[in-house]
Parts: sequence; C-alpha cells; structure tokens
Amino acid sequence: MSNSMTMVEAVNLALHSEMQRDSSVVILGEDVGVNGGVFRATVGLRDEFGIKRVLDTPLAETMIAGLSVGMASQGLKPVAEIQFMGFILAAMEHLIGHAARLRHRTRGRLHCPMVLRVPFGGGIHAPEHHSESTEALFAHIPGLRVVIPSSPARAYGLLLAAIRNPDPVIFMEPKRIYRLNAQPVEDSGKALPLDTCYTLREGADITLISWGAMIKETLEAADTLAEQAISCEVIDLVTLNPIDHKTILASVAKTGRCVIIHEAPKSCAVGAEISATIAERELLNLQAPVNRVTGYDTVMPYYRMENHYMPNTTDIIDAVTNTLEFS
Amino acid sequence: MKYFKLPDLGEGLPEAEIVEWMISEGDQVTTDQILATVETAKAIIEIPSPQDGVIAHLFGQAGDTIHTGEPLLEFAGEEDDSGTVVGELKKSSDTTTEDHFFIGAAPSTQAHSQKMTPAVRSLASRLNVDTDNRQGSGENGQLTTDDIERLARTDRTHGKAEPLRGVRKQMARNMARAHAEVVPVTLNEDVDIHDWEDNEDITMRLIHAIAVGCKAEPAMNTWFDGQQLARRVLSKINLGVAVDTEQGLFVPVVRDIGNRSLSDIRDGLNQLRQDVINRTIPPSELQGGTITLSNFGTIAGRYASPIVVPPTVAILGAGVIREQVVPVAGEIAVRRVLPLSLTFDHRAATGGEAARFMRAVLDDLARKSIS
Repeated sequence: MSNSMTMVEAVNLALHSEMQRDSSVVILGEDVGVNGGVFRATVGLRDEFGIKRVLDTPLAETMIAGLSVGMASQGLKPVAEIQFMGFILAAMEHLIGHAARLRHRTRGRLHCPMVLRVPFGGGIHAPEHHSESTEALFAHIPGLRVVIPSSPARAYGLLLAAIRNPDPVIFMEPKRIYRLNAQPVEDSGKALPLDTCYTLREGADITLISWGAMIKETLEAADTLAEQAISCEVIDLVTLNPIDHKTILASVAKTGRCVIIHEAPKSCAVGAEISATIAERELLNLQAPVNRVTGYDTVMPYYRMENHYMPNTTDIIDAVTNTLEFS
Repeated sequence: MKYFKLPDLGEGLPEAEIVEWMISEGDQVTTDQILATVETAKAIIEIPSPQDGVIAHLFGQAGDTIHTGEPLLEFAGEEDDSGTVVGELKKSSDTTTEDHFFIGAAPSTQAHSQKMTPAVRSLASRLNVDTDNRQGSGENGQLTTDDIERLARTDRTHGKAEPLRGVRKQMARNMARAHAEVVPVTLNEDVDIHDWEDNEDITMRLIHAIAVGCKAEPAMNTWFDGQQLARRVLSKINLGVAVDTEQGLFVPVVRDIGNRSLSDIRDGLNQLRQDVINRTIPPSELQGGTITLSNFGTIAGRYASPIVVPPTVAILGAGVIREQVVPVAGEIAVRRVLPLSLTFDHRAATGGEAARFMRAVLDDLARKSIS
C-alpha cells in the first residue's frame, strides 16, 4: 500500500518502519520525544515505542553525538537528530575524532552504526545558525558517509539504508522541501542503495549535478530548457562521501558539458571536488569548462537578503546557456 | 503556446531545413500567416502561424536544420512561473507525482563525442575545422594538433567540404541503404522500335510496357521486407518516375498506371514534373511507389545498373534510342533500337520472373502503336 506523503512524513515512516523491525534502533535528540521534533519528523514514535527507545536529550549537541558513538559501539543503532545544521559544530569532535575512525582504530573489532539526521539549508527565512549548508565539512572526512535525499520516496529508502549501514552516516535533510511536494511512498521496508548517484532525467546535451533542495530548481531549469530543445541529464549526487564518480564521468563523457548546482558557498565545496575529478579524468570529452552555480563565499545572510544568496532557476538556465555557447 | 515547435511535416521526415524566414523578431503575426518556408528531404513547405502573437525569438537561420519537435520560434509575453520562495516551509502542493529515477547512470549513457584536449579543441575552433566523425591519429582515435592542422590545410587547398542538404542528403542515405541491403541483378536488352508510328510518346510507351510487364509477372510489382523476409504482391501499379533536378533526385509517383487512360496518365505526369520543378510537390506524392522508371536516355547513356530502393524490387532504365546495324530476316538493316536495363532484387524475385517481366515489356514496346 502506498500513501501520498511529504518528505518529512516519509522520514517519520522510515523511522517507524525500522524501529518496528529492529529493536536495536533508538532515537535521541532535542525535542524528538514529547514534542515530536521541531519539524515533526519523529512525531508519534515516543508513544509507540516508549521512552527507552525515544530519548529527549538536553540542549547539548556534544552529548548527543557522544552518546550515539557509545551506543553504536555497544550494539545499538542510534538515530540522533541535530535540530539545525548550525548547531552541529559542537558535535564535530565526536563525529570526526571517534565515529569516523572507530572501525580503523580497533582494526574492525568495533564499528559505529549510527545515523545523525540533520535538517539543513536555507530558503525558509529562519534565524542565524538555522540555514547553513556545511555538507563539505563532513564529506571531507574519511569514514563518514554523507547522504542527502531529494524526494519523499527516496528519503524513505535512503534513511532505511543509512540505519542499516554498519558505519556512521550523516543524513542531511533539505528542510526547504520537507513539505513541498507529496508523492506516493510505499512502506515496503526496502532500502535504496547508498554510494551511488541517482539519474533523475536522461539527457544528451549537458549534465546537471545537484543534491538536496536545489534539485527542485535544477529540475525546473531542465524543464524550461527542454522547451528550447536543450536536453539536460539531471544527476542527484545523493551520497556526497564516497562520491559515485563513475556515473558522473560516464554522463559527462556523453554530454561533454556539465554544470554543478549547490546551495553551499563555492570555495572548497563538494562541487569543487566533482569539477576537479571531471577535469582529471574526462578532460578529452569536455566541450566546455565545468560551470558551478552556488551560494556566495559569505556567512549565510539573514532572511531579508536570503533570496539574493540562494541560487535560483534563472541562474541555472544562464549557466547552462553559457556552457552550451562555449564553442 | 510560448514555443512553436516544428510540426511533423509528413511520414518519415525527421528534419527540415529553414529556407527563408518570412517574419523577423518583434513582428506581430496572425494565425495562418506564413512564418517560414522549410525544405524537407522531399519538398519545400510553408509553415503557417498557429496563433496571433509577437515573435520574440527565431531559432535558427536560413540553412539551419531543425528536427521535428524542436522549437522553431518563441512567442513573446507568455510568462513562466517565477518560483520565488516566501516564508517558512512551503506546503505540499496538490499534485502528487511518482518518484522517477535511475540508480546510477541513465540507460542512454554512452560517450560518442570526439576526444581531444582543450588545446586541440580550441585550435580546431580557431582554424574553423569541422571535427565531427573524424578519426584522429592519437591513442583511441584522439584528435591531435597535427590532425587539426592537416584538416585545416586540406580546407585551405581544396576549399571546405559542403555538407549535403535536403534531397541530396536523403538520396545519399537511401542509396547507401539500398546498396547495403539489396542483392541486385541487372538484365540488359535492346528492343527494335523502328516500326513505331510517328510521334509515339516514348515515356508513355515505357509506362505502358511496365504496366503490361507487371500484369504478366506480378513478382516485379511487390514490396519486400528484408527484415521480416516477407513480400506483398501489389495489385495496384504505382510507378515512381525519376526526375533529375539541380537540387537532386526526385521520384514522384504516378498512381495506378494499370487502370488509367494514357492521356490521364500523361496529364498526371506533367503535373508531377511541374510540381517537382517548382518544389511545391507534397510529400505524399513522393510516397507509395511500387516500381520505378529511370529514363536517363533523355540525357545520355546506353545501359546502366539502376539501383533498386527498398521496399520496391525492380527498376527499369531506358537509354538513348540509337540507329544500329542489325540483322533482320538474314539481311543487314539499319534500325532504331531502344536499350533497356532492368535491375531487380534477387532476394525478392527469381531470375525467371525478371526475365518474363522483361519479355513482356520488350513485346509491348515492339508493337507499332498502343493507342
């Protein structure tokens, strides 16, 4: 049976589904229990599974991360929530210093099957610390998987995969599209594969690579360009570490042109890694320089300036046009 | 409608070339006003406007090829959605869409472009060298600086190669396909037409003879499907008549030559020829031929090996009528003879069937008169 639901409902469904199947799955975080989460991602779970499996924590991200590493190393599967990306910095020490390297440090004796769910990204006119896209900080760390869904159905399947993965996963949820579109999601219990890109549109003229909420603008741009007979291949990166370069390189070999779209600032972001790899390994098929449509190298502005910061559909269309016009 | 896309201009026509724009950007146009003329592989066609409006942008200039379904022009003033984000989380819209994706690469993912370094690509662009479908001398066919310079030298010495267009391009494709598929056998024979009455119309005599031949041997008037290994023996004889023009080879079709009066056929043929010359012939008049006549003898040549174009299985060529010394009842005589060349597809017909067709054609042409 498949019900139509939004991404945040699909996240809730996946949590519910896996908690039923696997008694080692526990939820922890700020306001995840009684309140049901600020975005209602964990609503109803405390009532159903009890306070031993759905833990309201103090306002202490360091503790949430540390607790998760400890639980994971001792046989539980914690799914922790950091309320907003801006608050994740206090958890870095545990994530980078311990979660990412537990398997390596113990030569495989211990591993760390934890998931850290974190809503991220701008465009919802939130206050400071609530709108950043700092995925590159984590994608840079060997041992951390970084996974970002862009649709309800894929959020469900990818979150199941993240929970079942034996190593730590930073599961970043693009909150701008949490409730944007509903689509049928089946509670099938089937995980989708990690470590692979997802091709959302097949195209021949140019490859567009994006992830998270910017997939919305990327698909809109592809639709508009299709009316001008420009055929865009749209690749959702999904797993930012490790990156599925094979899919990207094959697509660029086909189209010869590529635009990367992300909300994060441009410098040293994941787009730079993709661009560099294309230059290293697919140079001979490139018909034009790889172009990037990104946020600015600045602190995420407050809401009045926020729309100036966010890349939009027109920016993407312009970048595609410039890339296609490069002789 | 914001974008007006090139409509389907007739069966089997995937593209058209813009001949001339009748309007410019900024013009106000009305419904059915002619926007452009385009040339397909078969005809020149006028494209009328589907609506009233102001032209914002023309896609392509005269000489550019537009594929069916690609935009030809854009009308002004029809807005796209703005997509601005306002306050808090946007709520789910009413439309629910199925999730659609490929895990990993899309099925069509396959490299097909020319490999070269950016420096070589830039050199090719600077020297205006066309690199499509060029095999390079580098590793795995990679184009090198030397390749580009050599191609540029050839262009400089001999001029740039001119890409085939329209009918000529279609002819090249059709002939290559025919050559790859058909198993041709050609029969040559002369027919003595010395006793023809004055003013016999050679073309009409040939058409009549083909009709007689097809009735005697229907195996020559068939469509053959080489993939299915199946043939249709056709009751109607629709004769394709090769017409040579500066733009290339046209083969308009004279319908049902087995059942129409000679004068009716003559009028029809004249009209078709005129339409071909004026390039106003509709694509439908170039389709559905069941057998072909090539009367190259109006120019020069005795025998030929005409090419059968699938799905038809036979083509008759007629050469220049000449006077020739021939034995007649043991005596030497000088007679007018017409040389014929019949090519048939041996996949679809036997040598015996072709020879019987030829026999009937020869006998009919040997008659003094058919009127």
